[in-house]
Amino acid sequence: MSETRRWTPKDDDVNEDEDEEDSQQYLNQKDAILFAIDVSTSMLAPQELDDGDERGKKGSTSASAVLTALQCAYGVLQSRIISNPNDMMGILLFGTEATKFDTGSGGGGTVGGTAGGYEHCYLLLDLDIPDAEGIKGLKNLIEDPEEFEPLLKPAKEQVSMANVLFAVNQIFTTKAANFQSRRLFIVTDEDDPHSADRALRHSSITRARDLYDLGVRIDPFFIHNPAKGGFDSSKFYDDIVYRSPTDEEDDSQTATSGKMRLKQMVSSIKSKSTPKRALFTNKLELGPGLVIGVKGYLLFKRQEKARSHYVYTGGEKAQIVKGVTTRLAEETAKVVDKAEIRKAYKFGGEQILFTPEEMKAMRNFGEPVIRIIGFKPTSAVRFDMNVKPANFIYPDETGYVGSTRVFAALHAKFVKDEKVGIAWCISRKNAAPQIVAMIPSVEELGDDGVQITPPGFFLIQLPFADDVRQNPESKLVRAPAPLIDRMRAVVKQLHMPKGYIPEKYSNPSLQWHYRILQAIALDEDMPDQPTDTTLPKYKLIAKHAGTYCREWGEELEKLAGNLATPAAKTSAAKRSTLVKGEGLPRKRAKAEDGAEGGGEGDEVTAAWRGGGVGKLTVAKLKGWLEGKGLDTSGRKADLVERIEGALDG
Amino acid sequence: MADKQATVYVIDLGPTLSRVRPPRGESDLDYALTYIWDKITATMSTGRKTDVVGVVGFRTENTDNTMATADGYENICVLAPIGQFLMDHVRDLKRALVPSRRKGKGGDGFSAICIAVDMIMKYCRRLKYIRNVVLVTDGRGEWDDEGCEEIVRQIQEEGINLTVLGVDFDDEEYGFAEEGKDPRKARNEKVIKKVVEACNEGDQELGVFGTLAEAIYELGKPRLKKVRPVASFRGELTLGNLETYDTAFSINVERYPRTAIAKPISASSYTAKTEKPGSGGSVSGDGSVSGGVDLQAVKNARAYQIEDDAAAGGMMDIEKDQMEKGYNYGRTVVPISATDETITVLETEPGLQIVGFVPVEKYRRYFSMSTTNVIVGAKDNPKASMALSSLIHALFELESYALTRLVTKKNVAPVLVLLAPFIDADYECLIDVQVPFAEDMRHYKFPPLNRVRTISGKVLEKHRFLPTPDMEKLMSDYVDKMDLMTANNDEDEPEYATVDETFSPVLHRVNQVVRWRAVHPDEPLPPVHEILTKYDHSPENLLEASTDTLKKLIEASDVKKVDPKVAGRKRGRERPVPKSGLDVEALLTSAAASSAPKKAKISSTNPIPDFKNKLRTTEDLSDLEEAGKEMLAVLKELIKYSLADANYGRVCEILKVMREEYIEYDEPGMYNEVVQGLKKAIVSGELDGDRMECWDEIRYNKLGLITKGESERVEVDDAEARKFLWG
Repeated sequence: MSETRRWTPKDDDVNEDEDEEDSQQYLNQKDAILFAIDVSTSMLAPQELDDGDERGKKGSTSASAVLTALQCAYGVLQSRIISNPNDMMGILLFGTEATKFDTGSGGGGTVGGTAGGYEHCYLLLDLDIPDAEGIKGLKNLIEDPEEFEPLLKPAKEQVSMANVLFAVNQIFTTKAANFQSRRLFIVTDEDDPHSADRALRHSSITRARDLYDLGVRIDPFFIHNPAKGGFDSSKFYDDIVYRSPTDEEDDSQTATSGKMRLKQMVSSIKSKSTPKRALFTNKLELGPGLVIGVKGYLLFKRQEKARSHYVYTGGEKAQIVKGVTTRLAEETAKVVDKAEIRKAYKFGGEQILFTPEEMKAMRNFGEPVIRIIGFKPTSAVRFDMNVKPANFIYPDETGYVGSTRVFAALHAKFVKDEKVGIAWCISRKNAAPQIVAMIPSVEELGDDGVQITPPGFFLIQLPFADDVRQNPESKLVRAPAPLIDRMRAVVKQLHMPKGYIPEKYSNPSLQWHYRILQAIALDEDMPDQPTDTTLPKYKLIAKHAGTYCREWGEELEKLAGNLATPAAKTSAAKRSTLVKGEGLPRKRAKAEDGAEGGGEGDEVTAAWRGGGVGKLTVAKLKGWLEGKGLDTSGRKADLVERIEGALDG
Repeated sequence: MADKQATVYVIDLGPTLSRVRPPRGESDLDYALTYIWDKITATMSTGRKTDVVGVVGFRTENTDNTMATADGYENICVLAPIGQFLMDHVRDLKRALVPSRRKGKGGDGFSAICIAVDMIMKYCRRLKYIRNVVLVTDGRGEWDDEGCEEIVRQIQEEGINLTVLGVDFDDEEYGFAEEGKDPRKARNEKVIKKVVEACNEGDQELGVFGTLAEAIYELGKPRLKKVRPVASFRGELTLGNLETYDTAFSINVERYPRTAIAKPISASSYTAKTEKPGSGGSVSGDGSVSGGVDLQAVKNARAYQIEDDAAAGGMMDIEKDQMEKGYNYGRTVVPISATDETITVLETEPGLQIVGFVPVEKYRRYFSMSTTNVIVGAKDNPKASMALSSLIHALFELESYALTRLVTKKNVAPVLVLLAPFIDADYECLIDVQVPFAEDMRHYKFPPLNRVRTISGKVLEKHRFLPTPDMEKLMSDYVDKMDLMTANNDEDEPEYATVDETFSPVLHRVNQVVRWRAVHPDEPLPPVHEILTKYDHSPENLLEASTDTLKKLIEASDVKKVDPKVAGRKRGRERPVPKSGLDVEALLTSAAASSAPKKAKISSTNPIPDFKNKLRTTEDLSDLEEAGKEMLAVLKELIKYSLADANYGRVCEILKVMREEYIEYDEPGMYNEVVQGLKKAIVSGELDGDRMECWDEIRYNKLGLITKGESERVEVDDAEARKFLWG
């Protein structure tokens, strides 16, 4: 418990921005996933992966369900290290000949002792935030058949599902106590483990109910068993799995079909690896007197690298250093208690003070609500009117019965007539009001039947007039028709008819960052080449559009001859002086970029030799830094320091 | 950086301004000062030293100006020389700005303008300044236009913007005419207007003449802060690889922000210098803003520690130079020394590279993740502008966006942006916005909205989650009637709630309040400007026109609000049923009847399910109480045998479940007894030593006494609950 709390950065963050705080809190609701993988002869038998699967084509034609499940778990593990670094994961094999069960937490008094209680349960990866050893162990197991085979031997007798479920119960209660979300992923192809034993069947049902009482959600992944001709969940698992009638997860299609193949399992597990968490619960007001309940979710959020920490390496093991912030009075250097702190605005050389109540009152624009003020056609939400990722809303019946049908009626109308709602939105208590456009999304299913796009509304925050900047000055030089024609040919050649599909593009810098960390943590060889799917396919571009590009280039050269040269003089007078002083160094710096560090004619380098970088103008300093591809932000002193740092080498 | 600016306010302080003219409930001077103070504080709020202000009063009792010796400059006072306006000036000026009691002549308005112009000339010299003179008057004083041509010439020469605003001046454009106007005032208005308009006869429009009411009305409209465009990227837009293919091309472009969220000014933390009771925004005797001198800033000091069992308090202080940087990989700490710091950074070169072109109709508008930017051809490079123009038009004609990879600076993480064409009569550019990577997507699943599938897999067309045809029809009508595209009364701009007419409520509200408080230190917060809440409701005309439809829609929808209390209860009493619908209860009781003893004790290995089960299967109060006692024993055992804090999480979870259950079962007292018993055991140290950390954990999870706010069946108030938790 405290182990995991320590990893949350809350006291390292001193930020006033309310939105940030909210999303922080949202991330701190922890999640634990336990994979329970059935190890049986049929689960270990190699199976064809679905036709059309790339791995199939490459020749490694088949894999067992167990191996695929482990690979899948490994994949989930890696992606969760990036996306949910504070969440736990574990793997329990059941039906193995070997038994290993030790949650290693000392238990609670009389717990434990009964080592014999969990026969044929093998805790491969204890439920915890994964560490390097655990990940490495799992990786070896997947890659090395010599490790894999002796461990994964099925037991001769049928394992007791009641024991398995109780083992799960113990793992969750001891390792993931007080967690917001606890989920069990069962991977099996046995649809009726205790067909002959009524008592075992009954105790399994009891143990499953215990898990329900503990708030553990069971997500089953049933594998199609060719020998049995399918998987019938009604034989056993429908008595084990609980779903409330308003359950939002729509997993019935794959779970009941009994036809889940390995590939489907992989995509299905991946799609469930992030726990669903609502961002807010709110009212949606369609008009005076027509109010329904909705829940808001964040479906798109820029995944950032986890923050770096300070580390102390003086001890046996590298340790994260904990930062403690104390607030001190500037002049007396006395520690200031939170209650003594007053908020004030700097104004006219002094501070304008407000009471805490006034501070709250001035930002208060009423209770949370999403109030539709009217409707517009979809085209009214212009491309450039964007400031943030959109939130997603879906009806919620708990506060208002009938919400779903009203929501659905509005949704149908929007889709049919390409309409959007314009709404005044206070998403949470004390949140700043926004104007949002409600855009409907239409449900889309992937080839494997797994939902790609959920149906609902996206709330797009529209900018206020204050958020829109004026256009930069730009002299209009409209391209003549022949040039446009040639460019059109280029664009046509490089057409991507399916549109933008985010799944195809991994964040290269994020992946590289974690790839390197993984290599260091697992003591692997350093990778030398990053995979970067965002880089254009140069070869294909040249092949498909090369000729057209050349034609365009030739046309441009032809036209460029007629263009009135130096437009510099035509622009405003103040510009012409700028061109002399600042415009040129920028271009020169660019040219230097290739030749790296050519000091000749470089005013900044010259000044540095003379020790007078600080005497140059900020514009010059910035121009130089920009030319070197360095950060140009900050005060002059920062710029000088940065330049000196760069030149000092 | 904004332009430098110098403004002199010329204020009529004649005795006639003390009059209160209905329907206004304030004197004409106060009315005029609403405008002046708003303008001055707006300037102050920029905090810029280069935005300077001076103030001149005329028809004053005294004379205090540089030309005081010259004839015709009597009764004009320089109340504040030009300079950055600070709070001290506000206080001084407030004292000076009162109507004079002096009757009679003197204090000519045009002379006052002369003084102002002179001040500006002396202050700005030939430097680059925006020069303004703003005069407010009631037009009842002396206005001698003899020699005014000279003033006008000077104003034109200096390029000074002259604004004259009058109390109840006639204004045809604004549509105001004062009834029964004093002939003297009527004459003055004409004279002033003539002089002001004469300033417009040069090559610049410098004069503005208007009625004060319009200016004050305009104050309600938030002013937009202009930000000079600063390039967010300068470089090459390329197609193909220039190094390896001679068919690749590049266009020199510049990128500027189109949208950027304007944040309200932020407050800083202060603390009182001397500890005075009640220093919470009150006003000191001399009318100065409170705390102005009594505050000191609060700064943050960071200390660094690691866990060390050997050290006192379990923590050891670490010096900054003993630390390295590092990252977490799962639970494993990966230290990265300062020299290797760049090892995890992906090497990239700046540029904007086209990946391909995607059809507009396939793009999901809700993919857009960021603020937007404008991309134009490089400055003074007509060839680049023309090249870019051909791309803009090609995209436009083919209804496509360009998918591009953007790296703004060397080694900065690449992002994918979509470029959309924008073409206007006199402007062309591309607009870019960031789109998500695979890692940025969260694949949550939601049931479809147009059909309902039962647990057995059957698809239903009629269900309480699905709208009736009637509802759909009414909804459609309602949406059509509430169309905002023609809701504005303005024929030129029929669209309602456009970006241009919506303003950030918090930003302008905070500005307004801070400026108000600066001038009115002892008054409560002013009301919110109407414009800021104009869009929190539908336009009246639309609502009226759709009342009937909405009424019918509400009836057809039949939405029922759920009483939150009832909702909680009901769910608690419901027996959980697995997917199959099997009655687990019945199954178990029948099994139990034959074998196990009826009342099983709550086990320490499975306490929560045992506890819930016990509550479910009994109607007996004594059983509920018994369950509490057994749980208390389990809790004590867990703490007693906990290695350090290993079991504290479980303790909290159990308490949380018990708290919820006992509230639902309407027996909060039983929980309170358990938690009191537990606290006693912890405090007494009987659970194997110091277990106060466990209590900290309980406190952190807010698992104290159930209060009467949470359940009517107990008498515990908030103070008592707080005392219990913290005492």
